[in-house]
Amino acid sequence: MEEQVIYHPDFFVIPEGGEKPYLIAFRCEECGKTWFPILPYCPNCWSEKFDKRELRKGKLYTYTIMYTPQKGIKPPLAFGYIDFPEEGVRVGAQIEVGADVEKIKEQIKIGMEMEVKAGVIREDASGKDVISYKFTPAV
Amino acid sequence: MNYRDVYIIGVGMTKIYKKAPVTADELGRQAIHTAVKDAGISPKEIQSIFIGEMGGLSGSVCFGQRVCGTLGLGGVPMANVESACSSGAIAVHLAYKDVATGKSDVAMGIGVQHLSSSRAAGTGLAPDPRDPEGIQGATMAGIYAMRAQRYLHEFDATPTDLALVSVKNRRHAAMNPYSSYQQPITVEEVLSARTIADPLTMLMCCPNADGGAAVIVATKEKALQLGSKLVRIAASSLTSGIFRNDFRDMTEMEITIRCTKKAYDMAGVGPDDINMVECHDAFAIGEFLYYEAMGFCKHGEAGHFIRSGGPDYGGKVVFSPRGGLLSCGHPTGCTGAAQIVEATWQLRGDAGARQVPDCKAAITHVTGGGVYGLDNAACTMHILTR
Ligand SMILES: [Zn+2]
Repeated sequence: MEEQVIYHPDFFVIPEGGEKPYLIAFRCEECGKTWFPILPYCPNCWSEKFDKRELRKGKLYTYTIMYTPQKGIKPPLAFGYIDFPEEGVRVGAQIEVGADVEKIKEQIKIGMEMEVKAGVIREDASGKDVISYKFTPAV
Repeated sequence: MNYRDVYIIGVGMTKIYKKAPVTADELGRQAIHTAVKDAGISPKEIQSIFIGEMGGLSGSVCFGQRVCGTLGLGGVPMANVESACSSGAIAVHLAYKDVATGKSDVAMGIGVQHLSSSRAAGTGLAPDPRDPEGIQGATMAGIYAMRAQRYLHEFDATPTDLALVSVKNRRHAAMNPYSSYQQPITVEEVLSARTIADPLTMLMCCPNADGGAAVIVATKEKALQLGSKLVRIAASSLTSGIFRNDFRDMTEMEITIRCTKKAYDMAGVGPDDINMVECHDAFAIGEFLYYEAMGFCKHGEAGHFIRSGGPDYGGKVVFSPRGGLLSCGHPTGCTGAAQIVEATWQLRGDAGARQVPDCKAAITHVTGGGVYGLDNAACTMHILTR
């Protein structure tokens, strides 16, 4: 098996036993604002006390399909911003929509429900696969 | 505190090149030489110097000293400034501030970039790969494409309307010998060009470029003494991005809205007083968002505004008379200073075939930097008047 690296283990959880992965957001105990990913101080009030929140399903705010992505990523690459209304957090990440990349455009719509999944997001500079969170249309 | 009025006494720039025949240092020196001659001063009269270049891409530390040393400009306060695409405009802002506050009577801001020889050559610019969105593959084109996608989803506008920006700016560039690209293009060509990030095609994205531009500013007394045509910096406004990861409206350019308000307040003018704008049209959707952010049309009406000729010669305000970044090309750290050079020529009535008729007030606007959680890292605006 090829060597893999994880970006960034404290951003998300892949539960054992086949449960769906989720992101970990941090709600400031002082001012109530929620942040993703983890930050040392709340940018709003500089408190260092946070509650953990799980982000599982959100709505697609906007997206694009990049045909000239960064080095280490194969085109076409779908990327989108997913809103989690309850927590008040928006997360930008890759979108994966099944095997047929030719039909990628037809499978993504603004407003659709998306869920977190884990997968390879790119190759790093040394050629290793980088594993992280992504989004995929919710089932 | 009482600030002094600041005037532009000399400007100079190189052609914006797809690939410059000289080095980055030399681009800077050529621009400075032209600006000093234009001002009609001795180079030794410049009392402070600021130089903007993006991210040390020239491969040099203390780039300003490297450019200025052999011109005999050393011995004065000199600082190298960096905020990506805004670097050159910030250099002029700092020169302005020195004269406004009485630190210098004559100061110079310079912007230089030689992208074709840098590690950014042949690539699209992207946020730092250590950013959570950078590592996921976001590029600058991708981020603007997502703004465009959302804009087209919410408002009455189509990819054809976006293409009109590219076509207009190329038509303007045909009258600008400093532009990298001058060949006219059609809406069909723009729409059928290779997609970079849906819905933006290659002709809706600015090309990388090389160039240098220099702006010399001074007190009113100095300007009058030199007998130059008076071009005043009525506002020089700089601000930085605010970190958020909640539901930012990506169809509004929050940092530009803030910066515009400061600039209008400072100059005591509003959109009805402005004859031309050089904005940060790195991507066609940029112009749409800036028509609105600067108050030339209402939010959501940019499509209608361009269809009706609003941002063109004969319309409400001429956007990108030199051809913008879309046609001139975008030598990142140089662009902000180059826009000010263009606006100065326009206000002096020296802009040749692309002269904006009876140009009395101009805005230059350049943002900069894709940093995670920020709308943009920096926004710098100038309002020039005659
Ligand atoms: Zn807080």
